[in-house]
Amino acid sequence: MLRPWMRQGSRATCLFTCPRCLHLLRRWPPQQLQHSLRPSTALSSSPRSLQTSTTFELSDRVPLRKQLKQDAKSLKARKRQTRENEEASRQKWELTVGIEIHAQLNTEAKLFSRASTSSTDLPNSNVALFDLAFPGSQPEFQAATLIPALRAAIALDCDIQRVSKFDRKHYFYQDQPAGYQITQYYEPLAKNGHVDLYRHDGIAAEDGDHVRIGIKQIQMEQDTAKSQEYPPSTQLLDFNRVSHPLIEIITMPQIHTPATAAACVRKIQSILQSCNAVTTGMEQGGLRADVNVSIRQRGDVAGDHHYGGIGGLGQRTEIKNLSSFKAVEDAIIAEKNRQIAVLESGGVVEGETRGWTIGSTETRRLRGKEGEVDYRYMPDPDLPPVYIGEDLISELRRTLPTSSDALLSLLTGADYGLTVEDAKPLVELDEGARLEYYQDVVDLLRQQHPETGPKAQQALARLAGNWVLHELGGLLTKADLAWDSQRVPAEALASLLDQLQQKRITGPTAKQVLSLVFEGDQRPILQLLEEENLLLRPLSREEYITLAEAAISMNPSMVEQIRHKNQLGKLGWFVGQMMRMGEKGRVEAPKADAILRELILDGTN
Amino acid sequence: MSLLREAERCVANQSSCSSLNALISSWHQSCQWLDRVNKADSRRAQGRPKSRLDGRLVAIKDNICTRDLPTTCASRVLDSFISPFNATVVQQLEDAGAIVAGKANLDEFGMGSHSVNSYFGPVKNMYCGRDAEDFSAGGSSGGSAVAVATEQCYTALGTDTGGSVRLPAAYTGLVGFKPSYGLISRWGVVAYANSLDTVGIFGRKVSGVRDVFDILNQHDPRDPTSLSLDSRSRIDAQLNSACLASRMKTNSLKIGVPVEYNISELDPTVRRAWSRSLNYMLHQGHSIHRVSLPTTKLALSAYYVLAPAEASSNLAKFDGVRFGTSLDGDNSDSQIAGYLYAQTRGQGFGPEVKRRILLGTFSLSASAIDNYFIQAQRIRRLVQQDFNAVFLADHPLMPYRVNDAALKPTSNQAQVDVLICPTAPSPPPVLSTLGSGSASYSPLHAYTNDVFTVPASLAGLPAASVPVTVGSSESLAGVQIIGQYGDDALVLRVAEMLSGKRL
Repeated sequence: MLRPWMRQGSRATCLFTCPRCLHLLRRWPPQQLQHSLRPSTALSSSPRSLQTSTTFELSDRVPLRKQLKQDAKSLKARKRQTRENEEASRQKWELTVGIEIHAQLNTEAKLFSRASTSSTDLPNSNVALFDLAFPGSQPEFQAATLIPALRAAIALDCDIQRVSKFDRKHYFYQDQPAGYQITQYYEPLAKNGHVDLYRHDGIAAEDGDHVRIGIKQIQMEQDTAKSQEYPPSTQLLDFNRVSHPLIEIITMPQIHTPATAAACVRKIQSILQSCNAVTTGMEQGGLRADVNVSIRQRGDVAGDHHYGGIGGLGQRTEIKNLSSFKAVEDAIIAEKNRQIAVLESGGVVEGETRGWTIGSTETRRLRGKEGEVDYRYMPDPDLPPVYIGEDLISELRRTLPTSSDALLSLLTGADYGLTVEDAKPLVELDEGARLEYYQDVVDLLRQQHPETGPKAQQALARLAGNWVLHELGGLLTKADLAWDSQRVPAEALASLLDQLQQKRITGPTAKQVLSLVFEGDQRPILQLLEEENLLLRPLSREEYITLAEAAISMNPSMVEQIRHKNQLGKLGWFVGQMMRMGEKGRVEAPKADAILRELILDGTN
Repeated sequence: MSLLREAERCVANQSSCSSLNALISSWHQSCQWLDRVNKADSRRAQGRPKSRLDGRLVAIKDNICTRDLPTTCASRVLDSFISPFNATVVQQLEDAGAIVAGKANLDEFGMGSHSVNSYFGPVKNMYCGRDAEDFSAGGSSGGSAVAVATEQCYTALGTDTGGSVRLPAAYTGLVGFKPSYGLISRWGVVAYANSLDTVGIFGRKVSGVRDVFDILNQHDPRDPTSLSLDSRSRIDAQLNSACLASRMKTNSLKIGVPVEYNISELDPTVRRAWSRSLNYMLHQGHSIHRVSLPTTKLALSAYYVLAPAEASSNLAKFDGVRFGTSLDGDNSDSQIAGYLYAQTRGQGFGPEVKRRILLGTFSLSASAIDNYFIQAQRIRRLVQQDFNAVFLADHPLMPYRVNDAALKPTSNQAQVDVLICPTAPSPPPVLSTLGSGSASYSPLHAYTNDVFTVPASLAGLPAASVPVTVGSSESLAGVQIIGQYGDDALVLRVAEMLSGKRL
């Protein structure tokens, strides 16, 4: 591996930034910039505290509690107003959005060299000759990079093209060493896919239970170098990222609400992650979105534009380089409102490229049509076409993990009977490890109760769901630990739940035992229960009556209140007393309650 | 003659011929070559030479990367660039015992037909006119040609994109060979137009050229356009079939004469050399057949759309950021002051390179690509079909499938083994008529010099230019032999029959 950077360091580290350059936004924005902005916004948002310290006057003093109340009230009012305005404009204007998502593929090597894609190494240490566009160097297509790209294409239900080709997209920018990006323009890897969005994916209410968004195409392409700006005139370049394989996923313009657009990006990210096509999500900068936004008046004559084969749309603008789900949603809202304002004041929306800064309320113009770049797409004369065999596709299809949609419908179906609220975290947590653990527990439980009917089987699944998610999950959260399926082995939890199911221990005992095992008790559950004397030895009716009478004698006046004023809630107090007085873990609350009712209420009739 | 004496003579010639400006950089100052030649001499004495090139000096066109000498491409933008690696062809030659004696001058990035577009000054032909006017050495590999012709080295590598080896060979009385596209590795060859670029070989005799070709004709995994081992064995199998193998022995080859090459602008001396060559072949027992290549006229235009298009893309990497010369200059021009690369590219490239970058940028632009780039690609396909129609041998990489049989032209014209035609329409022009000061100068005129060499480049076919002398007038002309794809050995065989003949 070459390290030409080291040799030419002094000259190359100091680059002149072109102020008019059209491609500033091609860069992923440096993280530092966002950090440095935070303190200033935090200051400006609390002007009141500053004022009180300087111009302190008794007469103006508003009690803090009142002030907070008023603030909350006005915030609520503002929100309601915004919601109403949104609804009103929605009635009048239809929004149309298409999304382009760029995702870094999970590969060992770069797209056209054997250099590593590792992102943690020293800057400019993973760079081959071709990555720097050295004269005389040629691309060496890394066929293994196709695997994650194809997995993504299959997971998004695309038609994989038997033959795809690489093209050069030309533009000058210092993060682009060759002066062109190698991408797939004329013959992309895959076409005509779709992604299904459901209510639980967070789509807008007006989209109902389900929308399907078409995927126009998926293409492979090179990432650019990472640049870091040091104003006023220095830029540092790290070519480790150059030519990292990316896929670009282009959706059809079939999205009509900002929330659904954000849900779509979120869903595509989770699909890419679950099929192991990508390594990092938006949070780590491994995924970026550009959105195309247009509006048209409802019931109006159709617009003149068509994109992706869909006609009758309004003039669109493109917002580049959005780096969070919230940014996607906020930028679309802002751009939609801007376009409405332009049209309602008699103006014309221009086809242009716009940018979005996190925390702002308006998109800003980057370049207009006249500044549009002619990319001069040309087939790459060095790279042969990529031929994909049916055997490879079917093998990848066979080994692809089940989609989260399929898992969700399995878990919420008759077999498991979980709620969507419980099923979703099971699918999403710990990259599927939690779900695998859960299914192990359920399988073990069912082996122990093979004879019971479907309803009881479902009850077992729900019981296991509750314990895996909430009880075990709670312990993990409290201890601030990451998931580890060996901490409480599935066999141990299944055996514990089996005891609980058979009513051989009480709920509180089960929780106590779970906690013991969680803390490292390695004894088999049955042995543990016996040695700790935790198995339920049911009390006889006589023993319950003795206990109940003892409790009643402690507070006879309360008995009267229950009898005459029908304050049945107070029965609970006596149950508590019985639990406390009885032998630990032997008093079962429902039975105690029944005996108390018998003694206190039956006598009155 | 010992290798040492031969090498010493070459080095002496490098000094005495330095005014011809054939080499941009050379090793003649240092004596590193001496030790290597001595070792090769002793290997030869023991009867164990590494190859026929062991201990011989070679010149490498300066757009082919060498680790030990700069690789400038005759451009200011790379005027002190040293490549971190050797091109595969350089490595192959060194492994065979050859010694890189110097880097040969050229038209900047290979763009030109007379080797005058060089940041290091024009190459001069060793032949002069009657009034001692300097002749063009041809281009773009003019430095390589002159270095071999004046015995500054034993052999030299050039590159041939549209005739850049064959044309200078014709102008300097050498054998110049452009093999089938994909046979010789391009790894380390600075791309001008990747789909056309071919490494070519200069020699004083065909046998020397063949020796070099045998060393370089290998698959290279680093060049994605290098012909695969599979395809190579498929071609060999086809060539070894009974009907094709006989052509390497018989004395009755079918020789095609493309009528479209007999243009009115053809210089009489060139026409004479062509017709006498055909006559000679006829007397040797071969048969001569008239054939037609109707797309020939369009080929030149297609070439000058496609090559600049690829060049505009390939040359985008020269921005002075990661390697090469970074030029700041004065920033008085506010129009370009803000652009990082403007000074480097504005001052680093010569006028011909800039012209072709602009041409290519235009022909790839959204509004022009359909009319220029796409049309030119169609013409390129037609040119290939023209050749396939006249050669007896099928194109081994595009055989006619049964259901495509209808596509194979069933014209009544003869089918032939090789084509023989002129290399250039005229003898070498005088250099002073080529400068931009000259009244008759136009870039378009310079482009027409490639009219006979471009078709074989577009089709990727093997072609050689050999020198023949036409008796009384003592005038020298290049005659071109073109063969079907993969028929490199046959082309060299026919070249050997004609090379150096006094007719």
